[in-house]
Amino acid sequence: MPRDSRRRLVAHAVLAASALALSACGAPGGGGGDGGVEGKVTGQVTFQTWNLKARFQKYFDGVIRDFEKKYPGTEVKWVDQPAEGYPQKLSADAAAGTLPDVVNVSPDLAYPLAKAGLALDIDKAAGKYRTEYLDGAWKSQEMPGMPGVYAFPWYLNTGPMFYNKALFRQAGLDPAKPPTTYDALFADALTMARNSGRKIAMLAGTPSIEDFGRYGVRLMDDRGTAFTFNEPKGVRLLTRYKELYAAGALDPQALTAVAESAGRKFEQQSVAMNPGSALDLETFKRDAPGLYKNVGITDAVNNTGKANMYVQGLMVNAQSKVKPAAVAFAHFVTDRQRQMAFARQVTVFPSTQGALDDPYFTKQDGTDATRVRVAAAKSLKTAVNYTPVVLSDQMKTVLRNAVARALQGKQSPQAALDSAVAECDRLLKTG
Amino acid sequence: MGMRKSAPGGRARERGGGTAIRPHLPTSPWLFLAPGLLVVGGFSLYPFVSTVAHSFTDARTLTVGQFTGGANYQEMLHDPMFWTGLRNSALYVLGVVPPLVVLPLLLALLVRRSVPGIAFFRAAFYLPVVASVVVVGLIWVWLLDDRGLINALLGVLGFGRAGFLSDPWLLLLSAMAVTVWKGLGYYMIIYLAALTQVPRELHEACAVDGAGAVRRFLTVTVPAVRSTMVLVAALSAVNAFKVFSEVYLMAGATGGPGGEDTTLVMLVQQAGTGLGGRVGYASALSVVVFVLTLGLMLLVLRANRGEDR
Repeated sequence: MPRDSRRRLVAHAVLAASALALSACGAPGGGGGDGGVEGKVTGQVTFQTWNLKARFQKYFDGVIRDFEKKYPGTEVKWVDQPAEGYPQKLSADAAAGTLPDVVNVSPDLAYPLAKAGLALDIDKAAGKYRTEYLDGAWKSQEMPGMPGVYAFPWYLNTGPMFYNKALFRQAGLDPAKPPTTYDALFADALTMARNSGRKIAMLAGTPSIEDFGRYGVRLMDDRGTAFTFNEPKGVRLLTRYKELYAAGALDPQALTAVAESAGRKFEQQSVAMNPGSALDLETFKRDAPGLYKNVGITDAVNNTGKANMYVQGLMVNAQSKVKPAAVAFAHFVTDRQRQMAFARQVTVFPSTQGALDDPYFTKQDGTDATRVRVAAAKSLKTAVNYTPVVLSDQMKTVLRNAVARALQGKQSPQAALDSAVAECDRLLKTG
Repeated sequence: MGMRKSAPGGRARERGGGTAIRPHLPTSPWLFLAPGLLVVGGFSLYPFVSTVAHSFTDARTLTVGQFTGGANYQEMLHDPMFWTGLRNSALYVLGVVPPLVVLPLLLALLVRRSVPGIAFFRAAFYLPVVASVVVVGLIWVWLLDDRGLINALLGVLGFGRAGFLSDPWLLLLSAMAVTVWKGLGYYMIIYLAALTQVPRELHEACAVDGAGAVRRFLTVTVPAVRSTMVLVAALSAVNAFKVFSEVYLMAGATGGPGGEDTTLVMLVQQAGTGLGGRVGYASALSVVVFVLTLGLMLLVLRANRGEDR
């Protein structure tokens, strides 16, 4: 073969390989399908949790051992991801086609995966289990504009509010009466800032979409196709937060705070109240014993009478090669027996029928922990998941930036929220 | 028998009883080149071509995009965050390059002296270079926190608290300071190598003529290491324009209050990551960063050529 021809051949081969690589590396989409769930429960299932291994390794090892015993021929490989950057980890895995078979997700994380055809429609593939779960919890895994349910409901939480009784006392506030409404919160926050000489802030962060929801702001229209949080109530909330920021009732670094940094400020006792989860109590006990002695727990403030419900789910990868085993495992982890056992490990609540009527969640025994558990279980019956599932990370950033501009006085609260709604609507439409 | 000279693998054949050297196969050069080509192709060329291709689509993290022509580039022109990012990246270059050109040279002049214990200082100045940027960033966040050591010292000295991590401008300046602090040791090593090439006689002649230390520095040292200064300027300018870690760690994921401290690379990260990531738009931003970085590099090199003439 002449040398020129050989060169051309090599060049064409390289180009062809590049083209193949380019086409093969495209993002997934619509390739899922819901078939293939009937069959023998066998094979290796990869199970991914969200920041649970450090504290609950023993519990999950037991669950996995029981499952493998019940279904001989199965093997569960458990991986756990840290709290920070979880959406990024999921997106990298999803784009690379390496999403685990069973994945711990919240509804807002399940939405883009379901939209891309990567989440199995549980209603279709395992609808027989529907009656085992609370109706509201099952429905919380429905996605706007799509038929079906895209994750097994797992544990629920209301997200308690922690407060520092000692700081309340020092500021002349009654530690036995933490604020329960936003108006009370704003009044107490201003008192705290004034009486501490602006040294102690009530809150470490700025209002999130959940705050707007709990304040009673309508976040989206009924069809879930447009955002509405710029309505007058939303503007009022932001105006009040602006007053707090100016008075020193918010931490000076509130505009750049994230959940982790806000938690550190609370541990350092430079802010008096902080939202969290039941997992945080253990952290305070270990990392901030001085705070632990003074920590109080109350429901997150709200004006609606309905607490915020955090829902966790287990999604089954629609492209899993071991779908029968993955579905069986996701159901096994979320069945009543396992959920009750998990709820006894940490203050979370089962999403299975009748579980919240168990005496463990209804009977007082005089301890603080039980008081909080019983109160939270009661509030869960009417709780609402305020975070719209269509709210992407980009939209959250848009809202945060708008809130920051308003708090700094660079834009009026109305103008800031108008621009945020316009940008979120644009992102929603182009998504 | 005389030995014939031939390159290993050459076409010449040993004749007349010697060991025959087989001619190379036509594919041999490609085989030698293959590992390097694969690495460059797989990790540089393909991502680059792919990024350019994606910049003309509306691709998302989980969905394949459609061709949209120059829509992403048009959107960029109307995106206020793009202009904020461009402003901050440009300011970063202006704020970081001059100290990174001058200060490491002064440090190099200090530590090249042979005095007892100088090795400790050399190592100390170089330590930030090998330290993880995340660790370094977190340490500086603690130091500059509203209740951190530096604000406590300011309080003791009678000054008020400074919002190093809450005021957008102070935040950007703080991030620049960390970049400079972390880069000093690296560029110091480059200058130390360059200083060994400066003829000692020039310094001696200058000293004989009565020049002091400052004059010797300006008339002998600086001209002698000028090409190294240009290299340092080019390297630090490119790195400053692409800054991410320092600003991300200190200003947070949103890029400071209201995104005021967002740099272009942070914008790429914000737009392109997460489950709803706009890969097409982030790719277009990346292409713009590449073009601007290339332009910056050419500008520095051109300035150097102009001075050479």
